[in-house]
Amino acid sequence: MPDHSPSSSTLGAPPAGTWGSASRQRRTITLYLRRNPSLLIGLFLLGVLAAIAIGGRLVVDISMADPLSAPAVRAPSWDYPLGTDKQGRNLFAVLVVGTWLTCKVGLISGVLGVLTGTILGFVAGYFGRWWDAVISLVVDVFLAVPPLLILIVISANLETTMTTTTMALIIASLAWREPARRIRSQVLIMREMAYVNTARLNGTGSLGIIFREMMPNLIPYLMASLVLATSAAMLSSVGLEALGLGPQNEPTLGMTIYWAMHYSALLQGYWWWMMTPLLVLILLFLGLYLVTVGLDELANPRLKRGGV
Amino acid sequence: MGHTGVGLVVDNLEVDYVTDDGIVRAVDNISFRIPPGLRMGFVGESGSGKTTTALALMGLIQAPGRVSGGRALLGNTDLLALSPQEQVRHRLASVSYIPQGAMNSLNPVSRIRDQMIDGLLDHGIRMTNRERDSRVEELLSQVGLQASVARKFPHELSGGMKQRVCIAIAISMGPKILIADEPTSALDVITQRLVMQTLRNVQEKVGAGLILIGHDMGLMAQFVDELMVLRKGKLVEQGDVRQIFKSPKHEYTRALIDSVPTGAGRSHGVAATVATAPSPFEPPSMASSSRPALLELRGAGKNFPSGLFGRGGTRALFPLSMRLDGDEPRVISVVGQSGSGKSTLAGLLLGFLSPSEGEVMFEGKLVSGKGASRPADYYRKLQAVFQDPYAAYNPFYKVDHALAEPLVNFGLARGRAEILANMQRACEVVGLDPDQTIHRFAHQLSGGQRQRLMVGRAVMLKPKLLVADEPVSMVDASLRSTILASLRDLKDSHGVSIVYITHDLATAYEISDYVIVLNKGRVVEAGTPEVVIRSPMHPYTRELVASIPWPDPDRTWGEGEHTDTSYGIAAGFDDNTTILRDTISGFQLRV
Repeated sequence: MPDHSPSSSTLGAPPAGTWGSASRQRRTITLYLRRNPSLLIGLFLLGVLAAIAIGGRLVVDISMADPLSAPAVRAPSWDYPLGTDKQGRNLFAVLVVGTWLTCKVGLISGVLGVLTGTILGFVAGYFGRWWDAVISLVVDVFLAVPPLLILIVISANLETTMTTTTMALIIASLAWREPARRIRSQVLIMREMAYVNTARLNGTGSLGIIFREMMPNLIPYLMASLVLATSAAMLSSVGLEALGLGPQNEPTLGMTIYWAMHYSALLQGYWWWMMTPLLVLILLFLGLYLVTVGLDELANPRLKRGGV
Repeated sequence: MGHTGVGLVVDNLEVDYVTDDGIVRAVDNISFRIPPGLRMGFVGESGSGKTTTALALMGLIQAPGRVSGGRALLGNTDLLALSPQEQVRHRLASVSYIPQGAMNSLNPVSRIRDQMIDGLLDHGIRMTNRERDSRVEELLSQVGLQASVARKFPHELSGGMKQRVCIAIAISMGPKILIADEPTSALDVITQRLVMQTLRNVQEKVGAGLILIGHDMGLMAQFVDELMVLRKGKLVEQGDVRQIFKSPKHEYTRALIDSVPTGAGRSHGVAATVATAPSPFEPPSMASSSRPALLELRGAGKNFPSGLFGRGGTRALFPLSMRLDGDEPRVISVVGQSGSGKSTLAGLLLGFLSPSEGEVMFEGKLVSGKGASRPADYYRKLQAVFQDPYAAYNPFYKVDHALAEPLVNFGLARGRAEILANMQRACEVVGLDPDQTIHRFAHQLSGGQRQRLMVGRAVMLKPKLLVADEPVSMVDASLRSTILASLRDLKDSHGVSIVYITHDLATAYEISDYVIVLNKGRVVEAGTPEVVIRSPMHPYTRELVASIPWPDPDRTWGEGEHTDTSYGIAAGFDDNTTILRDTISGFQLRV
């Protein structure tokens, strides 16, 4: 509509919600992805890595990722496509297992962090008063402490008994801070929306308002938070592992880098040892970054109003 | 400046918008002429093409729109045939634009002086610093602002002052045509009158032709010489404003004129002015009824604390007491400008805000205040219609959600069929087609449809009390009377009492039994509309009444020159004076 009065901008908006049949829905999603190439490319990169982590198990025996399962220090060949390391691991098997393990750490702590953060954010934002005062204070204090310091102290004490799961839990213990703060600010905005007042008048209780009125509108935002938290957790885990504070007995990507550094792989010319985990990490973070950018566009109401 | 000549002559203007569904003609074959000094009004609803016509003259039509025909001669130049560079030179210099919502068009990080000079510099006018200062000062004085405004930032000015700054910018190069696009849509009536008077003064001084775009027929009647009524891009009627108001030729014009509340629908028999002195009330009368009142406020007020320890703060509403019996339905209007505390009062009534002092009782139960507990069916009996009909619907759900939820939660309907039947009835009572409304998302409905559905929802739930918070302020003029009629019907046929919150005295006059005028959180004057609005006593109410643009071109629009809000002092009234006028049965107010 050409006119500039308040209602006209919405009058001409395309019917976003009319997702009738499944095929129409599929078409809408395809059309959207074409308009949002970063989301598409990001999802593609993550898909390739998922295919390696899952499909790779069919191609290679993953017990080859254990030490002494192959001859030490072989350059890539037909038998060992990515070579082997000094401890006799088949690096292709390490790639398959390690990608999964690193993603596992990221997913566990990402999900736990966003879940805790969402609960804290909603409690602080929705109920306000001293709930908000206490939660915001705790979040602010923890945000001010450098996370690596805490992680190193905990990890160093657990070094021998460390597994990927404990690693994930340690990282999750700090992953809730940013989601909590971000969700709180979103809830503060939404709480003042007229439709929340309508819901109150509808006789909907607090839980109903949180889960059925506010949460659905936050889904794209929560997804973006989840991706962000997952990639931050993976970055922390790789960092800790490269310092040698990761699980000693599991071939995660970070631990592989640590062992490669430990045995001076590059100085001795074992380039393939270092290259494999590095390449996977680069693809992984690039994919996650692009997905975050894509989801950001999806979640940003200003861009979204252009019509999904 | 004294421009001679014929002014602006527009012939057969056509503007097209290219959309996925083909070409939409937004402006269809429109011709008019504006000699110097003439004030022309463009009136119509959203989508009528009134703004698009103005943008075409400014060369501001953007893709996918395009000017597809016609010419607009200003002197010897055709404004529609200019190259982009020439358009830039003509903007401000010969055609200038005063946008809607001036508060948003000023740059928040730049001082007023610099923003006023910007346009002149862009047009290559070279001035020394001293010349700039004197030019700015002169322009500001023309719009009635002090020279000190030049050094301020936009946030330091009120809405009316910002709009006057925009007028000053618009006349800075002595344009031949001024286009004012709903220049007062975000302002209250008192400021509106001030801004419009300023606009008229500078326009007459500059001698420019003026186009006023709007949908308020009252404002048109008070301001323009000639009127063009547009609808869906087509010219409906054109002519002298007096002629049009006296005998509109087209049905649509008549509907637009009739949509302005004038109070003609009321019976004016009750002119018995009773009380004069402040507060003729006896306190005990408040509690002396045997049955608990539907709604009772006992010294309820609201203070928004500020600072670390919550001391001081902003007083939004001074304590007041009221009692609405509810045996007979009543429409109580609460009138005030923004910041008067009317929305705070609505929040207290609805239980969205808790009072800083005092209590709110509903059917004898304490619902807000210390130790309050709300019965489960509280919102079964108390409902609301909000100002923004778009924000009131959750964008995640279809509109059914807002209608079906209360039916289920309050046990008013069981099963799909019964809920659907109820929803259909809700649509029908407000004249909506259920098939075109139910199972849709709010953004698929027009603003008027959304708001009507909200009223329909209230009818469907049949509460005992409805709080209507500015229900028609964001709706097209022609729909206002429909929505107000639905509200009235709610009272007459369903026995629902209504608290009608508004900034618009005219609509309050139309529908209410009792009017409460608020200013800066205090009750200023209260009584029946015949008394309060027909013969206001408090200077503030007088100012408010005088500022209403009545749809009558022969009526003079008062000459209010108040720039601040201390009305009382001059007339011997204190700002804190409350004048309680006559009373009605079933409702009592005490401050």
